[in-house]
Amino acid sequence: MHHFYYRRLGALLLLLVLTVAGERAYAEDDANGAAEFHKSIEPILQNYCYDCHGDGAHKGKVAFDQFKSDADVLTNRDLWWKALKNVRAGIMPPAKKPCPTAQERDLMAHWIKTDVFDSDPQEPDPGRVTLRRLNRAEYHNTIRDLLGVDFNTQEAFPPDDTGYGFDTIGDVLTLPPMLLEKYMNAAEKIVAQAVPQMPLTEPKHVISGKRFLGIGNDGSKGKDGGLVLSYYSAAAVSNTAPIKWAGQYQVSVDLTANEKYVDNEFDYNKCRLIFTVDGKETFRQDYNREGDKHFHYDFNEDWAAGDHQLAFQLQPLTPDKEQVRNLTLQIVSVTLHGPAAREHWVPPDNYTKFFPTPVPTDKKARRQYAKELLGNFASRAFRRPVDDKTLNRLTALAESVYSQNGKTFEAGVAEGMVAVLSSPRFLFREESTEPSNGKERYPLIDEYALASRLSYFLWSSMPDEELTRLANQGRLRDELPGQVERMMKDWKFQGFVQDFTGQWLRVRDILDWPIDARSVLQREEKADPERERLRTRFHQLNDKSDEQLTKDEKTELAEVRKKLFANFRRPPKVNFNYELRNSMKMETEKVFDYVIQNDRPVLELIDSDYTFLNHRLALHYGITNVQGDDMRLVKLPAESGRGGVLTEGTVLVATSNPTRTSPVKRGLFILDSILGTPPPPPPANIPPLEDAAKGATNVLTLRETLARHRADALCSSCHNRMDPLGLAFENFNAMGMWRKGEYGVPIDATGTLASGESFTNVTELKHILVTKHAEDFYRTLTEKMLTYAVGRGLDYYDVDTVDQIVARLEANNGRASQLIAGVVESAPFQKCRRTRGGQPVALNMEIP
Amino acid sequence: MKKIHTTTDKFSRSFNRRQFLRGLGACVALPAFASFSGAKLLAAQASNKLATTATGAPLRSAFLYFPNGAIPSAWWPKTEGANYDFSRTLAPLADFKSKVQILGELDDRAALPEEDGAGDHARANGTFLTSVRLKKSATDIHAGISIDQVMAKNVGHLTRFPSLELTCETSRPSGACDSGYSCAYQFNLSWNSATTPMTAESSPSQVFERLFGAGPPGQRLENLRRRRQEQRSILDFVLDDAKEMQRRLNPQDNDKLDQYLTGVRELEVRIQRAAKLGDPKDPMVDSPPDGLPSSYGEHLELMFDILTLAFQTDSTRVATLLLAHDGSNRSFSEIGIPEGHHDLSHHFNDASKIEKVSEIDLWYVQQLAKFLQKLDQTKDVDGNSVLHNSMILYGSGNADGNRHTHVNLPLVLAGGGGGTLTPGRYVKHGSTSAANLFLSMADRMGLENVTRFGDSTGRLNNI
Repeated sequence: MHHFYYRRLGALLLLLVLTVAGERAYAEDDANGAAEFHKSIEPILQNYCYDCHGDGAHKGKVAFDQFKSDADVLTNRDLWWKALKNVRAGIMPPAKKPCPTAQERDLMAHWIKTDVFDSDPQEPDPGRVTLRRLNRAEYHNTIRDLLGVDFNTQEAFPPDDTGYGFDTIGDVLTLPPMLLEKYMNAAEKIVAQAVPQMPLTEPKHVISGKRFLGIGNDGSKGKDGGLVLSYYSAAAVSNTAPIKWAGQYQVSVDLTANEKYVDNEFDYNKCRLIFTVDGKETFRQDYNREGDKHFHYDFNEDWAAGDHQLAFQLQPLTPDKEQVRNLTLQIVSVTLHGPAAREHWVPPDNYTKFFPTPVPTDKKARRQYAKELLGNFASRAFRRPVDDKTLNRLTALAESVYSQNGKTFEAGVAEGMVAVLSSPRFLFREESTEPSNGKERYPLIDEYALASRLSYFLWSSMPDEELTRLANQGRLRDELPGQVERMMKDWKFQGFVQDFTGQWLRVRDILDWPIDARSVLQREEKADPERERLRTRFHQLNDKSDEQLTKDEKTELAEVRKKLFANFRRPPKVNFNYELRNSMKMETEKVFDYVIQNDRPVLELIDSDYTFLNHRLALHYGITNVQGDDMRLVKLPAESGRGGVLTEGTVLVATSNPTRTSPVKRGLFILDSILGTPPPPPPANIPPLEDAAKGATNVLTLRETLARHRADALCSSCHNRMDPLGLAFENFNAMGMWRKGEYGVPIDATGTLASGESFTNVTELKHILVTKHAEDFYRTLTEKMLTYAVGRGLDYYDVDTVDQIVARLEANNGRASQLIAGVVESAPFQKCRRTRGGQPVALNMEIP
Repeated sequence: MKKIHTTTDKFSRSFNRRQFLRGLGACVALPAFASFSGAKLLAAQASNKLATTATGAPLRSAFLYFPNGAIPSAWWPKTEGANYDFSRTLAPLADFKSKVQILGELDDRAALPEEDGAGDHARANGTFLTSVRLKKSATDIHAGISIDQVMAKNVGHLTRFPSLELTCETSRPSGACDSGYSCAYQFNLSWNSATTPMTAESSPSQVFERLFGAGPPGQRLENLRRRRQEQRSILDFVLDDAKEMQRRLNPQDNDKLDQYLTGVRELEVRIQRAAKLGDPKDPMVDSPPDGLPSSYGEHLELMFDILTLAFQTDSTRVATLLLAHDGSNRSFSEIGIPEGHHDLSHHFNDASKIEKVSEIDLWYVQQLAKFLQKLDQTKDVDGNSVLHNSMILYGSGNADGNRHTHVNLPLVLAGGGGGTLTPGRYVKHGSTSAANLFLSMADRMGLENVTRFGDSTGRLNNI
């Protein structure tokens, strides 16, 4: 209870302070702003806006003549921010009303920015970023680069919350207790996997499956170098194990039993595998369809020195059964552990990577060595030099472990590494500023923070050695352009491509977006009410048991069955499987990557004559002459309607319902993600518009359904903007395939945008978007990328920053490099607000 | 040459639930952890009847959420009282008629739109157990503590885990969630505080490992002990690290460090508690393999299995399970319904859509029935069933998904509450806040200091 009152009291005090400060500022600065409002802005509003937002009208609860005072005009930042967006995007005034001239628009924009937002284009406010926790992708990549471990964070950690459409937003990256527990478990697992904890270990020799030669090994290989044998044909393969030392050995066999999934059809084949060592049968096992299961078998052998023969025999057991699912047995590997005698032991894999010099025996020297190893590791993991105090505590932790009986030095150091990976300094990205000269309004973040911002933006991972070295030398800012270019060329740039397109273009959704292929394709057939009636009746009768059916009903069932199946033909089959979905994902990623790597105009993301396809996806799209599994650059035929992200499978599918397209969702996606002008959410309690096709006498196409309901004034103001955009894509079904009609009615993809432009098909619409709405797209893409990069939602004070990057794009034909450079060089990326009474806080650390 | 051992699925990636269940069956047949429960009973008596039945057995509460409401005409029984008839949707519960009660006319008014406009799914989900209005924001999250966490804070010290949060949602849509509300509202039932949702666990193998330790049967307890030992020294280190970092940060960022420190403290408390309460009994069943179950139905059933085990072993007395988030557009091809659940729920009185949604509602209740059956067949330390000694609330924060209503919620309260509930009835409670029900459940859990919760107006007397 007390807590509550204190909070209230605090809020009151704060309000008081703000009011006093606000009034003083107003007295000095804002008299001019108010004068300018009355002189230049009010007349524009009167001319173009008062029809709906003045003189007693207050559409959408907005009226420009109801300010209580001049101060009220200037403090209403959210209102002016919205006004600026709507006027710039041409949403206001609406298409049929007179529009302000370009000068008038500029005048308004200038007044809003200067007098309402108080912004200084020379020194834009960088805003405040909440301390960011690593998200799942960043954690994965950071562990990969730090320790060389591919740790599955998708499985280990819960999904991250998103804000403003991205999972990089500090505010929503919370750390609930369960997650901390998971981080600690993960740290232990990762270190156990990466860091050898013994100086010597039993030798291990892995023979991959593909090295077993003979009948059944045709040179093709399975995943991870295994040998794939079919259940359906006999095989006999062998390999020789050269044994140098006589002794006890353990032989381990790893297998997987795989299948190609086929909907609703099973495969009842079986096979038998026999494993022999030096001609003696060691094991014999029968396999059914096993659902990609992994099998592991261990055997002990007492071997003399010399060659030992290892052999597999596969026998098909069911030659008569139908071969549906391409059942295979993969011999992954045979591993020989031994000899068991200690004198033959060797250092484990990776030993010198973590322990480059021999472990000293002297206690003090050991401590020094542990300190050195942990110091290097912690500095890399914390992405800035670790201070001595922390390092001493880490060393003490390691020592407390390795001083115990039976514990190795290596295990102690490993424990210290677990502690580093559990530390908030690893899990969060702590930032510091450059030393202040006390004069600058917004201090620069220090170079270690900059290195991290760069690497997490462009790689979704930690800085590499070069970035860290430059930060250490204080040269990173000087060499920024070269470094950005280097980073874009690095393979790790795919981290950015995947995470940014994954969310901006919703590529992450494609792999498990629910789609019912059959229902989607049914809509492409001619509507047949009689057939529908028969089908319904058939299911009604067929659901009853024999006893429940009357004699008449039995007769009827027989007739219905006969009619229904007389002209039965299977609908065309599309296996909307993982491979196809993954090809769509790669298409979007490759196109995006291509535009950036080749410094193409970003407008090609909307409209272009190329895309990336493989044989599978090309077939799905109905494009001929593309061979092979690998994605390749394909020049598109003019009539394909493809080219640009909007006609890629990813976007088309992720904006559809499971059984059909959703023009509303597609339109909404374009407004939100491409043009940056999302409509407000629908009013409460109103179901989605397109579901309201009630009372129609025949099956309505979506276009007809939508038209019926746009008639409602309440819905029309937003749906007039969404629907024409979405309907233009009706030639693409919910699986992204081209189609001519729905229920036998040809698709009508014509339309007129709310901003007035007309088009007859999707190609023309894309052309309109890149010619008339290029600036909207530049602004939207800039806003999305800046949000993603700095990890916070944009606010009114970011308008200058965004305008500057948009201007840069416009001056350079929209080249992708300008966008990336613009983001990296912007104030929000380079600077921060002062904290704690104006003094930037420096980290307590020593730079070695 | 001799063969030492053959483990067929040491690294098994895909998963055979039946194998896990067979083990579970064996475990259920054990004379229920008698030696283990002796100490438990004493602990319970010493702690003023918190979460304890009159017979000295543990009393548990679980909250299960299903999405998008239910077709009212198919859900509600026609007659009230003890002689109610089972409606179409609730028919699978007929076997448990004397052990469940149908709660009518309970409301979640905190989910009404009022000034906030659209976003009924986020609100239905986020208010269900918090009973407070949600701040409409994508990033500035503010809800309230949820009833399960109120219980956990009071009775959590009795068990090795104060509470369990489970979900069958394994991924989130990229981009935004419902109409300007943070996804956190729509994907979390349980809230530790107004700003910290209790992220739920979706992986069966990981919940199992958390409860009983990693590794094969027989080795788990040793693994748990070793783990605790290591965690202790690491917790000491990171605690210092976090405190030092906190000194350098500004107040907003300190919220994040507070979350971190809360997590550290909870782990510390759990380690101490483990020393006091002793180790769990290893259920001696195979752990569920890593990775996701092959179907949604299997996923649900596994979570129910684990929840049963958790209650049976008295690992926790409070749990939540999100079957699917409100607004879920899952397609139910397995029962011949390819359309999305949410899309269908806006049926606009189209008979065929209503029929399909009713089938989905029914499917969910069938899963509930399987869970209740497990609890009913599991013997508790006092000789009653675990179901008898539990309060299992099953419901949705949306009433009629078609119109997004939040009054007269579809709610079922299963279990006997250790003899404190009067199941076997359909009772209408006269437009009362569901928070009143929560208070009455909290009373039974032995909580004494909770006078109000969310928008409660009093207790629900007739349950």
